[in-house]
Amino acid sequence: MVRPILSLTLAVLAAAEVYASTLALQTPRYSLKSPDATEPRSEVLKLGQETLDLTLGPSDTLKLTFQVIEETEGKGVQPHQTFLRFYDEISGEEGIQPVRVTAGGKAKFELNMARPPASLPPTSTNPLKVTLLLGSFTHSPAKFELFNLRLPESQSPPQHSEEASFHPLPEIVHTFRPEQRIPAPAASAFFAAFVFWPWFVLLGLWSFLEPRIPHLFSPYIFPFIGTLGAFEVLLFWYWVDLKLGDVLLYGSVLGAVTALAGKQALAKTAEWRLGRK
Amino acid sequence: MAGPKTAPSASPNAVQSLLKAYRETTSSRLKLIDSFLLFLMLSGVIQFIYCILVTNFPFNAFLAGFGSCVGQFVLTASLRSQVNPANRSEFKEVSPERAFADFALGSIVLHFFVYNFLG
Repeated sequence: MVRPILSLTLAVLAAAEVYASTLALQTPRYSLKSPDATEPRSEVLKLGQETLDLTLGPSDTLKLTFQVIEETEGKGVQPHQTFLRFYDEISGEEGIQPVRVTAGGKAKFELNMARPPASLPPTSTNPLKVTLLLGSFTHSPAKFELFNLRLPESQSPPQHSEEASFHPLPEIVHTFRPEQRIPAPAASAFFAAFVFWPWFVLLGLWSFLEPRIPHLFSPYIFPFIGTLGAFEVLLFWYWVDLKLGDVLLYGSVLGAVTALAGKQALAKTAEWRLGRK
Repeated sequence: MAGPKTAPSASPNAVQSLLKAYRETTSSRLKLIDSFLLFLMLSGVIQFIYCILVTNFPFNAFLAGFGSCVGQFVLTASLRSQVNPANRSEFKEVSPERAFADFALGSIVLHFFVYNFLG
């Protein structure tokens, strides 16, 4: 609903612009005056042709005069806004200077470098593009490119007392602990085998002692031994594959079973021990 | 831990006489446990020597292995002292069966923590 109305309004405005009269400049003239030269260099600005390059010294004066007229009738017109734009294309700095225009459309602008206006942008060796901007409610706006102006370099802005802390800090260089050295595979393999020889000592001693386990497979004792073995298997399985939650769940179930089996087995062995005594 | 009483023998070597007394006075069940203790000690010593001589990488594996030897040694030693008939006067409330049950439970918990740490 809103969008068709908006587009219609824009179309009407655009149409109105097409039919509004255009502004033009009549006899734009500039003059450069240096303090040492006797005569100011005065010329008519030819717009639309190759852009003129002007250079001002520190004590030169530039005078600009023109008249704003309506293109079709040739009548002098006072536009609602008249600005001179000084724009540095390379650094992007720009300054706007309003220009007073009389009711008859006549305008005069003076730039004295001995007392430069505050509206000038910071300058360097780059040329400033000078443009005249005209704005009006009754006429379509106009833009005239006048000339390229080279002004003396302005002083760089004073450095802030804390300027140094607003720059990127030097890159942090971390020194990490060097990678752990893995020992030689030969030494590693030798020790891996070497760590098992106490088993031989154990098995040798046990075979020498020849322990008697007469009741191992009795139905009272074996379930207990079996559940203990199952616990070891569960823990090994946990090491290779299982997750913590699972092993705790299985372990608690197996623990309950082991407790029951153990109670039975140990009661029986106590009975045998006390019976023997 | 009630050790074997030193016999008043004329043997020049004290160690030899100690071993002889041990062999004669200790029951075979206790000797079973003692051989297991010896095995654990040897395993622990070898792992420790490896850690010092070669490398302690990965450290968690060394801790798990060494810890399992030490922990199991402690549990077995306490089982042996509680089960030894010569110590009955000291452990009146703890029957040998109870001692074994404690040993089994402690071993399982130790193994669980060791496997956790092994990585």
